[in-house]
Amino acid sequence: MRDFEYLEPTSVAEASRLLAALEDDEVRVMAGGTALMLTMRQRMVQPSHVISMARIDRLQGIEFDPQQGLRIGALTRHADLAASPVVQRHYPMLASMAERVANPQVRNQGTLGGNLCYGDPSTDPPSCLLALDAAVVLGSTRGERCMPLDEFIVDYFETALEPDEILVEVRIPPLPPGVKGIYSRFLRTAAEHRPLVSVALVAGLDGGGCHDVRIAVGASTPIPCRMKNAEAMLQGRRVDAALAAQAADLVAQDIEPLSDSRGSAEFRRDMVRVVVRRTICELFELSIDEGRAP
Amino acid sequence: MSTHRIECTVNGEARSVEVPAGRLLSDFLRDDLHLTGTKRGCETATCGACTVLLDGEAVKSCLLLAVQVNGRAITTIEGLAKGEQLHPLQQSFMDCGGLQCGYCTPGMIMASCDLLANNPRPTVEEVRRGLSGNLCRCTGYTQIVESILHAADAMNHGN
Repeated sequence: MRDFEYLEPTSVAEASRLLAALEDDEVRVMAGGTALMLTMRQRMVQPSHVISMARIDRLQGIEFDPQQGLRIGALTRHADLAASPVVQRHYPMLASMAERVANPQVRNQGTLGGNLCYGDPSTDPPSCLLALDAAVVLGSTRGERCMPLDEFIVDYFETALEPDEILVEVRIPPLPPGVKGIYSRFLRTAAEHRPLVSVALVAGLDGGGCHDVRIAVGASTPIPCRMKNAEAMLQGRRVDAALAAQAADLVAQDIEPLSDSRGSAEFRRDMVRVVVRRTICELFELSIDEGRAP
Repeated sequence: MSTHRIECTVNGEARSVEVPAGRLLSDFLRDDLHLTGTKRGCETATCGACTVLLDGEAVKSCLLLAVQVNGRAITTIEGLAKGEQLHPLQQSFMDCGGLQCGYCTPGMIMASCDLLANNPRPTVEEVRRGLSGNLCRCTGYTQIVESILHAADAMNHGN
């Protein structure tokens, strides 16, 4: 690892000033550091300055308000999210997702904010947050701005952060009554920690047809995507196994999968189809063996 | 490179050491404090041999900078025994044959400490999930899992 300066600002404004002052240097922001340390140790990045967020209190905490929804400070670790009673109670799919991220040691160090800013597609949180209609708050000396998560995630390892901005918090609106969600994923082997496919489904189940349907696919695509065509197909309908299979086919058709050493585009498309169908069946309490393609 | 004074507690003892910003926690423990029970394995956060407890929670010390533990408490494998009295997990790994070459053992035991602190009566599945950040390349995992279940029993009866 190359030598670097380590800085620990104590406020968003101070961090932003440092980032602006060092704009011409190779600077990296560190939250938990799980991803950054790996890239530095492999010399994929060789920063002259590492700016730690650890002492900024504004980035801490998890709060729930029935009108505003959930506020998750950017420094919230995956383990904190998984263990949070308000998250478990109001957004069980989010707690269940956080409980599966990587491995126990990484969950004790890695943060939600760090995960989103790194922009690695092969992780669990982005698609789950997208289906929950999450927004992010970005802070700098110019104040704070809130943007939907799908605008924040620009491309493969690329976000909408300005050079002097940091991610302050993640906001998730309250789920309407009767709305439930499931986060599922597919791992290529049981020992692998990075999902090959992630699927997050949110839908209202009360009454005749389903409502408030949101489907997000991640890990198989360069950035997580909302699947609007499949959402429209399910919206207002009574979901049975045949419709679940049709929606899964549509999702598989609509995505533009990654193709790399971990899986070809074709394999990913097939696995997305399987996981989407099973996830819809699970949420609507249908047998996964019904309506399966012959 | 900036240097930083680290004030932390290691195995109950207050430490104050000046380190460069780039010093890894694993190197700080092994080279600065001469606590070589913590092993460096893959050095890419895969194997878990370098697992230590940070404020009671398992972390990989090859993935943390020493500056990140300023003001915090670290427990390494050297901090588990009380004098001549081994920790129940250490005893159990010996009794159940939970090791062969022993290189992964400190990491396995530290990860298990965190697991059992949060879940004193884990199922086999929960033990396996709790060890999902640790690799063993010689014994296979059956006897490691047995060691942890056996230690859990011993610790529950001890209380």
